[in-house]
Amino acid sequence: MQTVIETKALCKQYGSRMAVDHVELHVPQGCVYGFIGPNGAGKSTTMKMLLGLIHPTAGQVTLLGQTLNEKNRLALLRQTGSMIESPAGYLHLTAQENLEIVADLKDIPYKDIARVLDIVHLTQDKNRRVGQYSLGMKQRLGIAMALLGSPKLLILDEPTNGLDPAGIQEMRTLIQSMPAATGATVLISSHLLGEMEQMVEQVGIIDHGHMLFEGPLSQLQRHSRGDVAVRLLNPAKAAPVLRANGLPAGDSCTVTLPPLQDALLADLVQKLADSGAGVVEVTPHTKSLEEIFLSLTGTEAAHHE
Amino acid sequence: MLKRCIRAENRKLHTSPIWLLFLILPLISAGYGTFNYLQNLEILTDGWYSLWTQHTLFYSLLFFPALVSAYAAYLWRLEHMGHNWNLIMAAPVPPFTLFLAKLFVVVKLMCFTQVFVYLLYLVCGRLFAGFPGWPPAETLVFMLRGLVGGLAVAALQLLLAMLVRSFAVPVFLGLVGGIAGMLLAAKGYALLWPYCLMQQGMNSNRSEDMLAGRLPLFFLACGVWLLVIGLTARLLLEKRDVKA
Repeated sequence: MQTVIETKALCKQYGSRMAVDHVELHVPQGCVYGFIGPNGAGKSTTMKMLLGLIHPTAGQVTLLGQTLNEKNRLALLRQTGSMIESPAGYLHLTAQENLEIVADLKDIPYKDIARVLDIVHLTQDKNRRVGQYSLGMKQRLGIAMALLGSPKLLILDEPTNGLDPAGIQEMRTLIQSMPAATGATVLISSHLLGEMEQMVEQVGIIDHGHMLFEGPLSQLQRHSRGDVAVRLLNPAKAAPVLRANGLPAGDSCTVTLPPLQDALLADLVQKLADSGAGVVEVTPHTKSLEEIFLSLTGTEAAHHE
Repeated sequence: MLKRCIRAENRKLHTSPIWLLFLILPLISAGYGTFNYLQNLEILTDGWYSLWTQHTLFYSLLFFPALVSAYAAYLWRLEHMGHNWNLIMAAPVPPFTLFLAKLFVVVKLMCFTQVFVYLLYLVCGRLFAGFPGWPPAETLVFMLRGLVGGLAVAALQLLLAMLVRSFAVPVFLGLVGGIAGMLLAAKGYALLWPYCLMQQGMNSNRSEDMLAGRLPLFFLACGVWLLVIGLTARLLLEKRDVKA
């Protein structure tokens, strides 16, 4: 599989603060890639560097197999659709007029406008002033602008931000369908992992400018193996077995075991049962993706206060 | 590429409030000029020429820079609002072309304004001053030269409005520029200050030609200012990070 976006040691420094610190992104072709991190983690800054809107302090960006530079920037932008930091647009104009402006800038025939309006369900409202639009409609117009000209690469910054649940669901369906419908690769950012879970295949997690994790969503889910709670009738009899296995023992009827592989867990439960401890319940705890995310970004404490 | 950008800029002016300003300011300027002329008939004895000076003196030093500043500030305001900087800078067009397209549109508005101002001059001359016949053809040449002088003001105001996110500040700076121009022109430094070039071209304070024999110098000054401002804008657009 070809890598459509790749960054090497990408850095952006503002004063003494590293907004983006040696970020390495690898976005495979034809996938929806979720770029996830709390607000201020460096998502927008990274995306702006991908588009050449801001200049990296160090490192390089490779788009569609070419290292981004002054010379090929425009050619690469021609194959890219983007929406950065909330949707843009001219409020005193209609959606149709806004799209005509973007079509002119991108050198795309106006007939493509009807197609993108249809995709984002704005055909009915195309002659209304954008100033009268709801936030959700503006977001959709922003997506329509990005979709004009069927770019190979879509870079969408927080497209679900500020939407109501129905709007989020609609956006999700829309974005999920894009690789199949248009062949585009989609890089999408969000500060909510839960929102992303259902639409992305690949994830990159960033915090304080550092990449904490990158890989398939399924791999992140594998990190979700949590503690196992074992309820016993006779904890005193279990104590020697637990100690023999290097685990702490107490008087409590519920013993918490660390995440264990299935074979080891089965073996331990067998030994506990044989000791006459009276195993009545074995409950594995699965971490939600939100919890994995929080433990990766280390904001758990802040979150529980 | 430039053509497409100009078309995009033109579309942004659709249903824009800037057209109201375009109508009102020249009317005030013409009203003021005609009134001044009629109040001072005993010293202003040069007919069409005298009315010309009254019509264009305050126009070229105050109303014109104010109008051009407003046109320029409005065009950039559209980009400063929302997150349109991201939109235009991520479009596959050279950033400087965006500036040139805006310059083209401001110059277009400026041409309309000049024509409108000239029509008002004709109307006021015939209707209120009661002149027989038509003004000397020379005034048309002054009008065209005013346009050339105005190019530098348009470019400079676009640069200011690009850098300053507020609408009022660059317009205010434009007015300050115009007023400073009055003082500098009085001291003979007119060709060194962009805001004087318009007034010099318009020949707005004397009946004889202020630029007689200095026309090449005038065009040179206009060209140098345009070049300096254009290069600065290009450098800033290409090297600075986009802030939306």
